[in-house]
Amino acid sequence: MEGFLPLQWCLVWWIIALPCLIFGIYQLEKVIKADREVLPLLGVTGGFIFILSSLKLPSVTGSCSHPTGTGLSAICFGPWITSVICAIVLLFQSLFLAHGGLSVLGANIVSMGIVGPLAGYAVYRALRNTRVNMYLTVFLVCALADLFTYFTTSLELALAYPAEVGGIMSSFILFMGIFAITQVPLAIVEGVVLALVFKYIVQLKPDLLLRLKVFPEEKILNARSEA
Amino acid sequence: MAFRYRLELLAVVAVLAFCILFLYASSTMMDAAFAGSDTLGSMQIAEMTGKAEEEFSPLIWQWAPPSGEIESGLFAIQAAIGGIMVGWVFGYWKGQKKRTVE
Repeated sequence: MEGFLPLQWCLVWWIIALPCLIFGIYQLEKVIKADREVLPLLGVTGGFIFILSSLKLPSVTGSCSHPTGTGLSAICFGPWITSVICAIVLLFQSLFLAHGGLSVLGANIVSMGIVGPLAGYAVYRALRNTRVNMYLTVFLVCALADLFTYFTTSLELALAYPAEVGGIMSSFILFMGIFAITQVPLAIVEGVVLALVFKYIVQLKPDLLLRLKVFPEEKILNARSEA
Repeated sequence: MAFRYRLELLAVVAVLAFCILFLYASSTMMDAAFAGSDTLGSMQIAEMTGKAEEEFSPLIWQWAPPSGEIESGLFAIQAAIGGIMVGWVFGYWKGQKKRTVE
């Protein structure tokens, strides 16, 4: 939302976003140098961020919002590389679509590219080595990465515009009502769809997932023998 | 696990449920305009600060699509870029797999 974030907050979010991006670019270089075969996987996960973040879907609240698609990339490459891909998508949207802007780009990178994927990644790390079904893990990661993106957007706005009565907390709840509730059904659909995409990746390129140690070997092999 | 297409079925059910939910919401809420949630957010901020929405302008000048048509076209291009990448890679993998099997 261009223009709605005061200058000092734009700067704060940019300052948080930049080191993450630089670290992400460094990691990206390392991963690609180590194994050229990961490039197609990067294409798929990045491609879904492009597709899903351009789809504005109607929701139960009578307003529209779009999913983020960042969960898949967070699982395969971690949150920092995901931030770099998000930054590219968000730059495209702010240059050509007036969807976000250059001044609020930092804030958008923090919510969509950093906090969302980071929350998803935390869930993934927690469930990776447990007996929880692999596809269920992917579903949870994607849905939560999506939801946390909008939690963060709400928080960013609440910090900039605390309510006169009740301060930051009450305006956070207000913005959550606008952004997060709209997002719940979208996040569920996104999670299911990306879990399905992950199934196809497992079927076509299990060796790549094994090399990147995305999931333990027996989980991937089990999933393959099931299909 | 007997059924091969569990996830596919689940995805179809989820998408259908989403569509039904939308139809239900749009028929019961006559005043729903289905504007973007960021538009609602902007209105909320305008209300809280008592400033008109038009008074908020981007800190850095930016180009805005002149009409909704052009905007939706650009969004379609974005989705197409993603779709081409995804389709290309899955095709590449499929071909790779076929070659190693042969």
